[in-house]
Amino acid sequence: MFKMLNPRRFYHAVGKRKFLEFILLAIFILFFYGPLLNMLMLAFANEYSVPNVLPQEWGFEWWGYVFGQKSLVSSMVQSFVIAIITTIVSMIFCIPAAYSISRFKYRGRKIFMLSFLLTNAFPKLGIYTSIAVLFYKYGLMGTYPGVVIIHMINSMMFMVWLPASAFRSVHRQQEEAARDVGAGPVRTFFKVTMPMAMPGIAVATLYTFLGSMEEAQGTMLVGLGRIQTMPVAMYGIVLDSSAVQIGAVFALLLIIPSAVLIFLMRKYIGPEAIAGGFKMK
Amino acid sequence: MSKSLKQNIVAYGMVMPAFLVVMLTVAYPIVSAVIQSFQDEKTGEFTFENYTYFFTEPAQLQNLLFTLFVVFVTVIVAIVIAYLLALYLRFVKSKISKAIGTLYLLPRFVPAMCAVYAMITIIRDSGLINRIGLLFGVDIHLGMMYHASGIITMNLWFNIPFAAMMIAAGLGAIPDSIIEGARDVGAGKLKVFTSMILPLSMKDVVVAGTFVFMTNVGSFTTPYLMGGNAPKMLGIALFDQFNKYLDYNRSAALSVIMFLICSVSAGVYIYTNLKEQDWEKQ
Repeated sequence: MFKMLNPRRFYHAVGKRKFLEFILLAIFILFFYGPLLNMLMLAFANEYSVPNVLPQEWGFEWWGYVFGQKSLVSSMVQSFVIAIITTIVSMIFCIPAAYSISRFKYRGRKIFMLSFLLTNAFPKLGIYTSIAVLFYKYGLMGTYPGVVIIHMINSMMFMVWLPASAFRSVHRQQEEAARDVGAGPVRTFFKVTMPMAMPGIAVATLYTFLGSMEEAQGTMLVGLGRIQTMPVAMYGIVLDSSAVQIGAVFALLLIIPSAVLIFLMRKYIGPEAIAGGFKMK
Repeated sequence: MSKSLKQNIVAYGMVMPAFLVVMLTVAYPIVSAVIQSFQDEKTGEFTFENYTYFFTEPAQLQNLLFTLFVVFVTVIVAIVIAYLLALYLRFVKSKISKAIGTLYLLPRFVPAMCAVYAMITIIRDSGLINRIGLLFGVDIHLGMMYHASGIITMNLWFNIPFAAMMIAAGLGAIPDSIIEGARDVGAGKLKVFTSMILPLSMKDVVVAGTFVFMTNVGSFTTPYLMGGNAPKMLGIALFDQFNKYLDYNRSAALSVIMFLICSVSAGVYIYTNLKEQDWEKQ
């Protein structure tokens, strides 16, 4: 078993091609997962002083510390509340628009479709600062509606384009068949079209929710420090970094919702589904 | 009421609310920012001063050049690596390529800040690489924190999987049969690549490249946590103008400058996206 650890033996044992593939895999994991794994380790390190590569003492000390901080716990609650509201509001606005764009033919449809690109075609921060000037005028700075609006426009493009391409893949004949046996338009939509377009809608919803969970710059700008979501709190933790473990614990807490949701929706997530949100296909 | 009129009302009624949201919260602010960028801070008179400031002040000019440098390096390196990765995922069928094909989807869903923080724990002066170096008696100081190389590394972390995913989706649409067909009539590997695979996947490369470009011009989190004080990325410069100096006219002008830099690439993005839309013609 251990003789495989000798690179030359390993090379001759598996062949050139396999060997190169293993190297590729190793580089890939080191670069993309190394940092995350290191952070995972740090979150469970009670004691981690400079020359040591591994923590001297393992434990949950810093988890206790994070959950003992009232402001950090309340930021978690705020993050979840805002993300849920954003997702619901965004669905109410965007799903009908997606359906309309994919199913009806009318003048100006392309312009409607393109208008959603506006939210992603320009630098976010530029849009945020311009909105903030208007928010000051209408008293939306530092309020929940203001933050929800910022989060919503962030993901509107996916929320329209992804379901639109999903609706388009549902054959019109299937809807017509339902109509023929007497289902009304609303019932047809909820019983036939919607379930078939579910993968696209699911990925879009996931995007919106996770996008809202991780949005930081806009929340910081518009929330004026009154609304502290987890990512905003995280900026503070990273920049003042008294102990690297606090940041690690908090970052893990931020990752958990994504990890859970991705696991639940794993069968919907693939390159094709995700790429669909970037194309007007 | 005729059927088509009724249908039109339904169609417009469904798309309008979302469209109005975009108009009110995105288009309107952009227009008002453009107007504001030409106004003098105190008198409100028409002026170019807000713009000339960013092109004459040495520090600001450096920020602009620094941003362009970082973004171009990011786009080129990310697209080249992503293309190779996508080719590998598409044409090599093995357990390892399957594993990478699953693993590379995840970085897209890791909150940006967590990823940046994780990278900091590796590359900072007391980070993992330094500690491993000390094990072997070398004191490694990467100097990547507060430096362009750190920002570029992080940008690659975010953008390689994304670009690879976009390109892989495009390559996946190329049927095996036409490649086999070309091989059958005697085309070599290189020939198949340059005259079939590359042109067929070009659209996705352009879409991925322009999107990477657009998102990185205004990037904030990475330079905010990793970048130095001078030169700064434009996103940070804009945040400072707005939040620190409370100069709304200059920050409006800087946003417009960033809009313009991006609009070149947005134009390419829209053009490539609209070029072939078969479903449109049906």
